[in-house]
Amino acid sequence: MPDWVIVIGKSLLLITILFFLTKWLGKKQLSQLNIFEYISGIVLGGIVAIHTIEPDSNILNGLVAMAVWFLVPYAVEYISLKSKSFRNFTEGKSTVFIQDGKIMEDNLKKEGYSTDDLLEKLRDNNVFLASDVEFAVLEPSGTLSVLPKKENQPLTAKDLGLKLAPQKEPQAVIMDGKVLLEPLANLSLNTNWLETELDKMSVSIENVFLAQADNDGQLTVDLYDDKIAVAEPTEKPLLLATMKKCQADLELFSLATKNEEAKKMYEKNSKKLQAAIDLVQFHLK
Amino acid sequence: MTVGSQVKTCFSSIKSVEASLQMLAEKTYEQNSYQAFKDAEAIITEVKNDLQKQVIMLSKEEPQYN
Repeated sequence: MPDWVIVIGKSLLLITILFFLTKWLGKKQLSQLNIFEYISGIVLGGIVAIHTIEPDSNILNGLVAMAVWFLVPYAVEYISLKSKSFRNFTEGKSTVFIQDGKIMEDNLKKEGYSTDDLLEKLRDNNVFLASDVEFAVLEPSGTLSVLPKKENQPLTAKDLGLKLAPQKEPQAVIMDGKVLLEPLANLSLNTNWLETELDKMSVSIENVFLAQADNDGQLTVDLYDDKIAVAEPTEKPLLLATMKKCQADLELFSLATKNEEAKKMYEKNSKKLQAAIDLVQFHLK
Repeated sequence: MTVGSQVKTCFSSIKSVEASLQMLAEKTYEQNSYQAFKDAEAIITEVKNDLQKQVIMLSKEEPQYN
């Protein structure tokens, strides 16, 4: 048998085995691998490389070596899933670089990080001033996780005490001009509703590249024809505006009327309406 | 516009608001939003009933404007 046939045969066999081995070793990203997993991956590749281009090599030896280099990391991974102390041993522990806003010089030295390295890692996290950091820790994977001081953290709705309407994921209901029935059913809507909404925007279904519906059944579309401007959904802002207008009208009536009873009635209802507005306001934004 | 017709306009706006809220409540699949819309709808219905009485009363008071 000529050498090249052997090479082809071995390559195909080893590629298949390597494919499955790496698949079983898990879905971790390359950046999340610890040094041990990283090296065992390289060794696996190296074994395959040697045996594919070397026709005289004993393929059995190669397979045994691959099995060992697969089984040991696999076992290590399995045991470290079960045991915390073993995990600390194999994956290493994280190292605190900044605590209570103070840089731990000893820890930096221990991990072989210079001040420049630390500053670079901080800049990676969009921190340019080391004193902005409350706490920073070097993860076993080599990334630096940074907790900025409270005043340097981005403002959230929680900080402002704002109440926000809960939001569920929007569903794509039309893709490439074709209606997707399952997402529609998830929203408990049907094709009739979809046609009505599209009619309201006066677009035809064939012209829709993508249409998404949010949790309140508002439809947003993108068309193939980009020259057509699509109206933003106005239902909810319009409703809020109408409610506000009615409330103002009622207040006006109560000021205008001279009938005491009617005045009271208008005032009472204007207050009720205000309560209703407060209730739905943040759902309508 | 007379007071009567102004109140009538407001009354129909309130009716439209009620219907919109009802529709939104039926369309949403988020429990909190559903409850808020339902509660608001109940309030609006009370307001609507009061206004309806007022509309009837005003049309009796000013029959010449009907």
